[in-house]
Amino acid sequence: MSDSALVLDGVTKRFGSLLAVDALTLCVPRGCIYGFLGPNGAGKTTTLRMIMDIIAPDSGRIDVLGRTPGAAKDLIGYMPEERGLYRKMTVRAVLAYLGAIKGMKSRDALRAIAIWLERMGLADRAGCKVEELSKGMQQKIQFVATVFSDPQILILDEPFSGLDPLNLDLIKDIMLEMRAAGKTVIFSTHMMEQAERLCDYMLLINKGRMVFDGTFAQVQSEYESNAVLVEIEGEGDFIQSLPMVRAVRVQGKRLEIELVEGADNQDLLRALLQRARVRSFEIKVPTLHEIFVHRVGGGHE
Amino acid sequence: MSKILAVARREFIETVKNKIFLINLVLIPTLVLGGMALSVHFAKRSVVGPRETRTIVVEDRSGLLADDLREAFAKYNQHRPQQPIVLTVTGPTADAPTTGSEEVVARVRAGTVHGYAVIGKDAVEGSAKSFYYLKARNLADMETVSTVQQCIHEAIVAVRARRHNLSPKVLEEIRAWTSLEQIDVGEQARGGKRNEMVMVMVPFFFLFLMFTGVFAVNQQILTGVIEEKNSRIIEVILSAVSPFQLLAGKVLGAVGAGFILIGVWGGAAYSATLIKGLHPAVPASTLLYFALYFVFGFLMVASFLAALGSMCNTMKEAQSMMTPAMIIFVIPMVAWFHISQQPNGLFAVILSFIPPITPMVMILRIAAWPELSLWQIAASFVLLAVSVPATLWVAARIFRVGILMYGKPPSPREIFRWVRHA
Repeated sequence: MSDSALVLDGVTKRFGSLLAVDALTLCVPRGCIYGFLGPNGAGKTTTLRMIMDIIAPDSGRIDVLGRTPGAAKDLIGYMPEERGLYRKMTVRAVLAYLGAIKGMKSRDALRAIAIWLERMGLADRAGCKVEELSKGMQQKIQFVATVFSDPQILILDEPFSGLDPLNLDLIKDIMLEMRAAGKTVIFSTHMMEQAERLCDYMLLINKGRMVFDGTFAQVQSEYESNAVLVEIEGEGDFIQSLPMVRAVRVQGKRLEIELVEGADNQDLLRALLQRARVRSFEIKVPTLHEIFVHRVGGGHE
Repeated sequence: MSKILAVARREFIETVKNKIFLINLVLIPTLVLGGMALSVHFAKRSVVGPRETRTIVVEDRSGLLADDLREAFAKYNQHRPQQPIVLTVTGPTADAPTTGSEEVVARVRAGTVHGYAVIGKDAVEGSAKSFYYLKARNLADMETVSTVQQCIHEAIVAVRARRHNLSPKVLEEIRAWTSLEQIDVGEQARGGKRNEMVMVMVPFFFLFLMFTGVFAVNQQILTGVIEEKNSRIIEVILSAVSPFQLLAGKVLGAVGAGFILIGVWGGAAYSATLIKGLHPAVPASTLLYFALYFVFGFLMVASFLAALGSMCNTMKEAQSMMTPAMIIFVIPMVAWFHISQQPNGLFAVILSFIPPITPMVMILRIAAWPELSLWQIAASFVLLAVSVPATLWVAARIFRVGILMYGKPPSPREIFRWVRHA
């Protein structure tokens, strides 16, 4: 048993002249929530599809729970970005079929279906045809289809797109529950706020290449700009001439002060206190959104 | 394997539950059988069933036949009470022309008299010219002619017998008919009654069953794949099974549905021939060959259509790509009569070795001529055993790439690249 849920080693995929994924190497530990972040066309879906053995990499190695992707299919619950169900079949029949092709015994599948539909508040819809349900209900069924086989790894491609706030919370809760139960959750998103809150680890990819990976704290420290946000009483014109200051930007009442390399923000605080009353002094921490925009260069979304 | 079976099971159930399948299953045999039953019914009605009373005028210019004519017609009416003939015998009138009375001919023309026979003066001696006037409208009128002729002949024979002092009993003995029942000792016929129609239609029926069975069910593979693509469930499915497992399961499920279809149709057709009193003795080996060729032909078409479906986003696209390919499958349907008449001709042999239509042509030839040389049958199976897996392999590669592609259908060059690199 390896400690990693998922290992990618130099995985590359080309579509004609387009290099979709370029020598991607990463390691997802067991029992965590792992975010795949990146703009559209970054290679997130292609990577997830290769992990699911839906498409084969041109080169590189993928290891899922110590197995090849083809042999690990039954251990993974996968929700693709493009969702769909057999519209003419009943909810129960579709789920039972998806359970059967995941290798579930029919009796176990039916029991799990009943439990999950109950939890989603859709127990009374089991006999309805999929096409008779509302879009929101269909999304819940889709999610049930992903989790009810009790997979070791959950892979969700853009799980939050098109969800209302209630369903979004429901799905986040289940993701956290899965982690608590020792399962691994991997998801892709471009909602940075969600990623920042949920992920233990994250990977930012752009144009098929890894930009960074690690915990949010690591990412933050790596991208911590040497800047502070201050609010003072009176004129702040003098600040520009302080030796440790590189630039000053006015942000409403507050000033964003960028320090020169190696300067200590505590020296700035002392200098400020000598000349003015300080109302607030905040060390600027970059949000994931800012890091994302900074690294990807913006304009891709 | 259990995944392939799970896919096959769903595919089978959904196919069999589909309305189009049920319509095909029930409606086509019902229409064909119903049509046959009706035609038999009407045919019987017009020839042996009840019929309007016919009025026949016989002018006996010999003056010897009146009583015997009445007796002959009475006998006919006794045998066929539902098809009565009302007979009027007129004697010889000296002044009337030998070709009959204009007045009676006018009545025939007007339709008040069905037929008018004029028996020549020396009819009993056998040297007279006789006539029959009728207004022919249908086959039944033609049948009436032979009835009248038969009755007149009976009357003349009776008069001749009396001239030679032959008692009716002796006469009957002399004329006793020896009928020959035709028995075909060919392997196909197995000593059953010979029937030309059955011999011609059995090969066609097998060809029809093969063609319709294969395409009726596989049409649903095509729509099924396009539906999975459009509803985007395909990626969920592929996260559980490989494209090859999916393709194999689909084809397997469809083969099951196909056997149900041809089983019901074949059964219906066989009962129909029994109802009609024919016994199309088809050797067991032909049925076995049919089943084998059906499986091969089915797999080939199913994998072809699944690959085609994977490349398309709408039925319209699929149909426009399918049309050129269908031309080859239509060849045996067009050439069936020629092939079944000359199952060993060069044309038939050449068509037998074009893989997509090998199953259709071979079953047509075997049904037409069960003694077809074994090496040809063996060669066709070798060809299929190579070409069908090859088709499946190519189809699986196209399927694997195509099923995740959206947008416009690929060009032949792109398809070729998929097959090479998938």
